Amino acid sequence: MTVDSTPDELYHDAARVYGAALGRLARAYEADADLRRDLLQEIHIALWRSFSSFDGRCSLRTWIYRVAHNVAASHVLEQRRTRSQALVGLEELENLPDGNNTQQAADRRHAFDRLLNMIQRLKPLDRHVILSYLEGHDAAAISEITGLSLGNVAVKIHRIKNLLARQFQQGETR
Amino acid sequence: MTNQLRNPVQKLWQDQPVEGITMSAEIIRKRAARFERKILWRNVREYVAALIAAVTLGYFLVTARDVFARVTFGLLIAGLAWMVVQLHRKGSVRSMPTGVSTLTSLQFYRTELERQREAVNSVWSWYLAPLIPGLLVYSVWSAIRSPRPAAWLGLALMNAVIAGMFYVVWKMNVRAARCLERMIDELKAAENSY
Repeated sequence: MTVDSTPDELYHDAARVYGAALGRLARAYEADADLRRDLLQEIHIALWRSFSSFDGRCSLRTWIYRVAHNVAASHVLEQRRTRSQALVGLEELENLPDGNNTQQAADRRHAFDRLLNMIQRLKPLDRHVILSYLEGHDAAAISEITGLSLGNVAVKIHRIKNLLARQFQQGETR
Repeated sequence: MTNQLRNPVQKLWQDQPVEGITMSAEIIRKRAARFERKILWRNVREYVAALIAAVTLGYFLVTARDVFARVTFGLLIAGLAWMVVQLHRKGSVRSMPTGVSTLTSLQFYRTELERQREAVNSVWSWYLAPLIPGLLVYSVWSAIRSPRPAAWLGLALMNAVIAGMFYVVWKMNVRAARCLERMIDELKAAENSY
């Protein structure tokens, strides 16, 4: 994938390499299956369109995640009008009771549902950071995509690690 | 990131089965066109609803016998037209948000919130105020046409109910604007922090 590639080629490669990650991203932003399909389609269309103005000033990965998260954040803001559940920040989520039920924690499906539920309650920017962390992006990449300073991203990742460790009773492996 | 470096929660997240989609360039062109048509129809539905209201008011305007009634319906139609124009200008039904690829998430999110705040803050001028002249003329016309205390009392009650509804809409928007303002301030603080 290079700047010289055509928009169609860029899109084709982006969908092949990042298709699964975009699917996970859509899932984190929309719980309803039908709306999620629409959102995912909207992200793909936005990406395809955006490649006509891709100039290589940032990496393709940054570009793809920026477009995807921005389309998804816009979707969340639109849906917020019709849904009653308030979105919270990482700080408020830290006050949730610990996930200390070991039997439940052992249940992988239940653990995943809890993780997804936790992510879907977050405000878009915090949701963006936690998703990027879960996708394995480093602080520099997250900073470039979100526009948050490196220090700010580091603080948020520290909070996310603590929150996940407390909620899932599992220590960090790195 | 390799599997060895993933912590269990990252592994849990990345290993989930996903319903990804793959589309050829040809298919995505068709889907994009279909998406545009969907947005177009959504816009058309809004305009058709306004047109039906305008035609109904227009019928009353044409068939009204006195000048006050005609002025009332004329002003209500003008107010409706103003609301539709503002709705269109504010882009409440847009095909795709601008800046999705050029702005960072922080800038994009703040811009979207500011756009919403602007719409909410100005609701008085584009959503409520355009109807007031027509309603005022209607009240004066009704008061002159039926100069009886009972009729005036009914008119006063009707105006009080309308004023109450306007107040509730305005108050809800003030609250929404405050909430948006707090979120924007949080984002500005995040933008300025190091």
